[in-house]
Amino acid sequence: MPDAVQFIQSLVNGVGVGLIYGLVGIGFCVIYNASGIVNFAQGVFVMLGGMACEVLLRKFHLPLPIAFLIAVPFVALVGLLMEVLVVRPMWNRGSPLFAIILATLATQIMIERITILTVDEQPHTFQEFTLGGPLKIGAIAIPYQLFWIVGCGALMVGLLWLFFTRTRAGRALRACSQNREAAALLGIPVGAMLLLSFALSAALGAVAGILVTPMQAIAFNSGTPFGVSGFIAAIIGGFGNAAGALAGGILLGVLQAVAIVLLGAGFKNVAALTALLFVLFLFPSGLFAGLKPKAH
Amino acid sequence: MTGTPLIELVDLAAAYGQVQALKPTSLTVAEGEFVTVLGPNGAGKSTMLRAAMRLTPASGRVRFRGRDITRLSTHGRAREGIILVQEGRGLFGQMSVRENLILGAYTIAAGESVEARLEEVFRLFPRLKERFGQTASSLSGGEQQMLAIGRALMAKPKLLMLDEPSLGLAPRVAAEILDTLGTLNRDGLGILLVEQKAPQALRLAKRVYVLSLGGIVAELAASEVGSHHDLSRFYLH
Repeated sequence: MPDAVQFIQSLVNGVGVGLIYGLVGIGFCVIYNASGIVNFAQGVFVMLGGMACEVLLRKFHLPLPIAFLIAVPFVALVGLLMEVLVVRPMWNRGSPLFAIILATLATQIMIERITILTVDEQPHTFQEFTLGGPLKIGAIAIPYQLFWIVGCGALMVGLLWLFFTRTRAGRALRACSQNREAAALLGIPVGAMLLLSFALSAALGAVAGILVTPMQAIAFNSGTPFGVSGFIAAIIGGFGNAAGALAGGILLGVLQAVAIVLLGAGFKNVAALTALLFVLFLFPSGLFAGLKPKAH
Repeated sequence: MTGTPLIELVDLAAAYGQVQALKPTSLTVAEGEFVTVLGPNGAGKSTMLRAAMRLTPASGRVRFRGRDITRLSTHGRAREGIILVQEGRGLFGQMSVRENLILGAYTIAAGESVEARLEEVFRLFPRLKERFGQTASSLSGGEQQMLAIGRALMAKPKLLMLDEPSLGLAPRVAAEILDTLGTLNRDGLGILLVEQKAPQALRLAKRVYVLSLGGIVAELAASEVGSHHDLSRFYLH
């Protein structure tokens, strides 16, 4: 049996990785709300964020903040291109959502292959944002990077909240999520909102990728596990519910960490998929339906 | 018809699969005119409004103030000043009354005061001011309809199209809403109102189109409906 210290340590780590899942889950929700599309390439934005930042640090020797400020817009641009080149043509032709969703999966595979051709197949990492850790509280060690993940994650969630409730574009995006036809009738360009949702979602994935890469090396195919975990987080939270996705991500991260400690590393995915089935069977609307944003 | 045509629907036709929901239909509304379209359920009234806003694929042409807007998107038509209040109201139920109204002003130019538009809407529908912070879904049916119309007015429309706004409302509330539409029309707003039965709407309207089985079967002055035996029987009583 694990001792209490080991257990608490796993909880701390679970919260960190869970926040990453939550950010990926929010990315799923942003696109889904604007369009009804489940973007299965969401995980690839995480990989691209980490990979782009690593390349900028290693090859161009840029300082981390500059690399961050270049990598995030770069991945947002990839999101825009994906919308313009893959999703929009199919959307305009009236293709079924199922076909569009499959196209996003194909895009993920394509981006992974392009990453192999332009970077390589090897896992990459870079040093933590703040050196000298971990912070010791008794016998519990907390890597400084975890504070960055929690701080940046909270900042992203706060900024998203302000964007969705206080800005014209954010309100318009929420309007599209509730009734696209009514939004268009008010003069809101629904197509532009779809474009915005892809850019926003890609940027969120990139931030998650940059935050997690110092703790977990990123390779061309690392997007898939993050995408799957983000997807499960979104379902646990109630698909389309951004706050729920964040809470679902933290819950999933903690659950996986506890499963590893109690049952072994092999049970990490078993725990995640069991949680998914449990929620789908018993709470098909998600565990956090009450966390929908309040009206302002 | 007097005055410059505000909107012209020319041979507008729409089908859902093999079913012709709207046969080639032509209709005009002049600047500041109040026009009512009457017809039974399934006559194609909603399809006509949806086609006019390009929500439903349609053939034919749409002109607005003489300009051909047939190829203009739905949001582009709204930006031109054509606002449709849909049947079912199309409110953003999880958003507050305030947010719904602010979204209504999405197309008004930067620098124009949203606050001034809000005050104008509150003058017409004081109850919305009392419900300002509530979610739209928590309002009564009548209040929701007031919000739908108020939100449309936030856009400073040149033409307001309404799809059965009295549907499901108590007669007193429906009358209150139609009175407000009369006030707006007297202030110069062009109105195209679609209803199944609306004696009061006919009192407000200058002209009436009667739609049946997907096509216009009559166009007459509103004052003539009373003297027309069949129309009077179907639509005034």
